Amino acid sequence: MPVRNTPVRYGSVAQTLHWVIVGLLIVQFTLGKIAEDLPNGLDKLVILARHKSFGITILALALLRLAWRFHDRPPPLQPMPRWQAIAARISHAALYTLLFAMPLTGWMMSSASNYPVSWFGFVQLPDLVAPDHALKEVLREVHGTLSNVLIALVSLHLLAALKHQFIDRDGLIFRMLPWRPR
Amino acid sequence: MATPLSLRFCATLVALLPFAAVADIWHGDQHAGVLRFVATQAGAKFQGHFGEFKVRFDFNPAEPAKGSLDVTITTDSADSADAERDEVLHGRDFFWTERFPEAKYHAEGFTRDGKGWIAAGELTLRGVTLPVAVRFELKPKAQRLGMKGGVTLRRLEFGIGQGDWAETTWIGNPVDVAFDLSLQQETAAAGP
Repeated sequence: MPVRNTPVRYGSVAQTLHWVIVGLLIVQFTLGKIAEDLPNGLDKLVILARHKSFGITILALALLRLAWRFHDRPPPLQPMPRWQAIAARISHAALYTLLFAMPLTGWMMSSASNYPVSWFGFVQLPDLVAPDHALKEVLREVHGTLSNVLIALVSLHLLAALKHQFIDRDGLIFRMLPWRPR
Repeated sequence: MATPLSLRFCATLVALLPFAAVADIWHGDQHAGVLRFVATQAGAKFQGHFGEFKVRFDFNPAEPAKGSLDVTITTDSADSADAERDEVLHGRDFFWTERFPEAKYHAEGFTRDGKGWIAAGELTLRGVTLPVAVRFELKPKAQRLGMKGGVTLRRLEFGIGQGDWAETTWIGNPVDVAFDLSLQQETAAAGP
């Protein structure tokens, strides 16, 4: 697979970033859900610390991915109805927005509750806001709501890809897969 | 040549005047400054403070060995700016404030250390008493005495963090304690 995008397919850099972020998002939702149900204790602290470290990782990868996207433009969309092309653009933009908004609101939430973020214990990140209980409660709501929006968008994204594969049978899904259609 | 020398002596006396008043006893509490702690969770340092404490400082620079320092801290006033964490902090596994409502520090005599002083005292925290040397610097201000210093404690030596919390990968053992106070002198009329 070429490093750069071809006219019909994403290259290895774009694909790797896409799928690593998919994997990390699954980890993040799992850790977030587990932490939500845990009582106050060391386990919760450990799970949340990991959640934050992975979140910062996603933020960094999202930045990298966006930069790469400007450097190496995505292959043009295949012919499809205009509304679908517009929907694809909007949902892709929204997905990118959430890839930034989720870690940033999480990071702010940590700062607001005076739990500074450390990336896997290697480096402590600066606080984005001063400790503030009311702000933390607001951010908790926002972070939780955005996570639901992200689940909805990812589901839509996945369903659309599956629709192209199994209903339209246009092979669009191989744009973002490392192997070729048989 | 006698005049400059005596002048210099006078100047020294004037410089020491703030300390040489009737009583050498100074007082302070949470309104006189801050008593903060910096601990580590999951590799990140966070800061908290004690909202209630009392300081009594008996000090004469001419006789530092005769002085004393007493600090009483209300453990329930430990504030880390997060209600959930404070609940754990005040609970049985950390300060156990119900059973040990106060932490006390007591030192007798001070020794010089560069520009500052060292109090070789004892800290009683969560029922454990251990020697703790606190370093501080003094800065006389108008009507007040600035006192600034700190010490790094190992929380586990005092049993701060029981059970799961006794590990140090996620909750660091060293905790920095620092104070920055502006003490008020005890007057004959207004005692403590």
